[in-house]
Amino acid sequence: MIRNYIKTAWRNLIKNKFYSIINIVGLTAGLAIGILILFWVQDEFSFDSFHKDAKNIYRLELWGGTGASRQIWQSTVYPIGVLAKQQLPEVEDVVRIGYNGDFASYRYHDKVFANDRVAYADPSFFSVFSFPIVSGNPNKPFNDDNSVVITKSTAQKYFGNDNPIGKVIIADNKQNFTVSGVVTDFPENSSMQYDMMMPMSFNIKHMLAQRIDLSDNFDEYDCFTYLKLKPGTSLKALSAKLFNIHIKHHSADTDVAYLLLPITKMHLYNADLTDRGITMVRVFLIVAILILIIACINYVNLSTARSMLRSKEISMRKIIGAAKSQLFMQFIVETALLFLLSAILALVLIHFLMPVFNQLSGKQLIFDITDYHVWMVIVLTISGTLLASSIYPAILLSSFEPLKALKGKISSNIGDVMFRKILVVTQFVFSIMLIVGTIVITSQLNYIRSRQLGYDRSNTFSFPMRDMGNHYDAVRAELLKQPGVLDITRSNQNIIQMNGISGETDWDGKLPGQTFIVHLMTIDKDFLSFFKMKMAAGKGFTGAVNDTSHLILNEAAVKQIGLKDPVGKRFQAWHMKGTIIGVVKDFHFASMKEKISPAVFYYYPSYLGNIYIRTTGKDAPKAIAAAQKLFKQYNGEFPFSYTFLDEKFNDLYKGEQQESSLFNYFAAIAIGISCLGLLGLAAYTAQVRTREIGIRKVLGAGVSNVTIMLSYDFVKLVLIAIIIATPIAWYAMSKWLQDFAYRITIEWWMFLVAGLLAIVIAFITISFQAIKAAIANPIKTLRSE
Amino acid sequence: MLSLQHISKFYQVGGTRNFVINDISLEVEAGEFISIMGPSGSGKSTLLNIIGMLDEPSSGYHYFVGETVHQLKDKQRSALYKKYIGFVFQAYHLIDELTVYENIETPLIYQDFKSTERKAMVADMLDRFQIVGKKDLFPAQLSGGQQQLVGIARALIAGPKLLLADEPTGNLNSKQGEEIMQLFKKLNKEDGVTIIQVTHSEKNAEYGSRIINLLDGRIESSKQL
Repeated sequence: MIRNYIKTAWRNLIKNKFYSIINIVGLTAGLAIGILILFWVQDEFSFDSFHKDAKNIYRLELWGGTGASRQIWQSTVYPIGVLAKQQLPEVEDVVRIGYNGDFASYRYHDKVFANDRVAYADPSFFSVFSFPIVSGNPNKPFNDDNSVVITKSTAQKYFGNDNPIGKVIIADNKQNFTVSGVVTDFPENSSMQYDMMMPMSFNIKHMLAQRIDLSDNFDEYDCFTYLKLKPGTSLKALSAKLFNIHIKHHSADTDVAYLLLPITKMHLYNADLTDRGITMVRVFLIVAILILIIACINYVNLSTARSMLRSKEISMRKIIGAAKSQLFMQFIVETALLFLLSAILALVLIHFLMPVFNQLSGKQLIFDITDYHVWMVIVLTISGTLLASSIYPAILLSSFEPLKALKGKISSNIGDVMFRKILVVTQFVFSIMLIVGTIVITSQLNYIRSRQLGYDRSNTFSFPMRDMGNHYDAVRAELLKQPGVLDITRSNQNIIQMNGISGETDWDGKLPGQTFIVHLMTIDKDFLSFFKMKMAAGKGFTGAVNDTSHLILNEAAVKQIGLKDPVGKRFQAWHMKGTIIGVVKDFHFASMKEKISPAVFYYYPSYLGNIYIRTTGKDAPKAIAAAQKLFKQYNGEFPFSYTFLDEKFNDLYKGEQQESSLFNYFAAIAIGISCLGLLGLAAYTAQVRTREIGIRKVLGAGVSNVTIMLSYDFVKLVLIAIIIATPIAWYAMSKWLQDFAYRITIEWWMFLVAGLLAIVIAFITISFQAIKAAIANPIKTLRSE
Repeated sequence: MLSLQHISKFYQVGGTRNFVINDISLEVEAGEFISIMGPSGSGKSTLLNIIGMLDEPSSGYHYFVGETVHQLKDKQRSALYKKYIGFVFQAYHLIDELTVYENIETPLIYQDFKSTERKAMVADMLDRFQIVGKKDLFPAQLSGGQQQLVGIARALIAGPKLLLADEPTGNLNSKQGEEIMQLFKKLNKEDGVTIIQVTHSEKNAEYGSRIINLLDGRIESSKQL
């Protein structure tokens, strides 16, 4: 029986080539894009779940600070994890990971690499997490404090095909590390990404030499702590116990509160389970579902609309004995066949689109057909859409009353015209929402790019000077002679994304219990003028000796601590104290998603390791070459790497830019698929109304009358869609904009543009069919009746 | 075999009933060949459809091969007609997407015959109607007479006891019509198939054993030939 169904289905496909092609193209595009997005979503959800014990591993984070400055810190103090393991039976193991910024270059024979993906870690790193050691001793990954475990591809990079075990890598030309193990490369969906792991014990020894004892230090919050817990541990009770341990050692930190974030969540959530990417994943999931629904609607619409043309066949089958269930199966098989074809084409399409999609989304997804996850997504998507598209038409078609259908009495009520209209409106609601989304996102990104940052970042590149900094004056003089170099200054860190923060603050008039966290930056005397920053009060640094006891606040800082007449008052942050000599106007040193934070600027020539060079733009390459030559002169083999402030600034919005370009494509695809459906429906309507059109023409209607008559019905639906989509899109995009501290307001023209675009595209689609029907010779059409 | 008692079919239009069939009673014995005649709108087709269980009467009693049809549920009724009744239409109503072979085979599929059985039965039928050479053609490639032949073959394939034909020759020229009528006569005589046909043609009606004349939903006259 199935064979018979398939045969009929196939003949139907071939016979109605136009509709089959519309259906297959729409479904193929919808399935391919839908599945691609779902791959992306699945990848996001899969982060850090590959660890065997993922369910029981948590990252220890904490709340710190009071009032407005209270925030979550992902890193903790060094001793807390170790103490927890010693004292609490529910803590099975602990891993501490510290960022390794002690070395800038690594050498093996003549190969030198700069590498910033180096970490200090406890040996338990390799037993708690599932990063398998492929050579070396898994039970003892580090032989001694001077061991290093490297990844496979790092081993390849340094040693080629030689056995890496026992080889010596020299860090910064002074410290030897012997390779004691090789670990497989970290999976793409791991939040932790390192090339080399050095023992935490080395770090502790290294810091002891600088008279900092990390094993009893509750001030330095720069170590990630992961705890492996016994299954069923109460997180609430545990965080209370951790607080007690902390307080016992450092009684001042009464505002600390520990949080335990499951590692499977750390990619998408903050420790308090607020958004860290989950919203975007949800948005994409919704977009994928919308696109799939749009594709399904096409199929449902076309197959129900065309059911009228099949009523005779169906009635006949009933009369010669087909049961309803048999007919139902026949239509399910028909839909399934079409889906099968589309699915195969979609898989081929995905294969070719994958590199493009990866480039757009910044991911490295692999279309690996041996991975069961891939099949899960594909099978679920296809069966879901198949189910959604097949049932209604199958029920509708199999429930014809045969006699009426045979007599052609069924035309008006079949396939419920209203229902089809609702579906078309739904499609366009989705499409218009996506268009509005695209417009809003693009405008917001343009707004960010063009917004006055409060400083001039044009044509400026920057790099850490290292030893070159000791000869700054000579370097400066030399560089200023170069063609293309306009100006030079320096500070202790890059102006974009300043990250020095202190909560140890004091000032004249501080209220008891008031806490205040401030960004710190040390700058050269000409820094403010270099960046064309404006003073709101007082003056800048002059380079005089006593400037080291002076400081400058930004407006945000003055406002937050409520300082009146700040100039001349005393202020202290960390161990830097001094008199306020000026207030600089606010400028954006972080992403526009954040409000401008308070900042304090010191003049401290020995801390100024970061150089900024402004060029003419045209001669930038010459300036870079000159800077590189000087850098090599003082730093020897250290790799030279510079960043343009513009690029670094754009990096802050890389995520949004990817969203924006992806949205562009999604919106285009959604409206494309919707229009395909519209094309099919318009063609069908023209076909059904051929006789009516013929009569109208005989009575004197012109081509334009007929075209407008046919188009109006559809354009009306798009208009309704605009009305429905507007408030929904407005709400959704307001939500999205809320992430930005500085944002555009949503304007009515955005909806107008989206609506007009939808109408124009829909009209072009329909009018093609409408005109074709309108110019047909009425004598011919009427005769064929 | 078939007994209709006081069968009526009406539509409610405003406050009045519009009768299509008005209190018809009819007995049909196995082996009869009945021709139903009457002007347009006299209710011929409706009567045929009621007999064929495609349409339901508004009132009356309907018995068929010992079953009380008016009391049966949809499923039982359709099982009954699947088993005992074959239909032939004026416009043939073949399924355009299926070949001659497949058109004839389809009723068997719906009655769950095994593939090998179906093959034998269809081959037999093609042979009997001398259309073996046409078995792979589609309806559009056949003449009207040939299409009706296929329609009859399809109606007969499952071995019905009663063949209902609604103006089977209406779309055919006289020669083709005559051939179809000869075939009906043969089926009736040799195979014992009971036939009820609706026709406009006096000549075709005379192939039957009884002629019933309808007028305005009533039996006006009935004569045994």
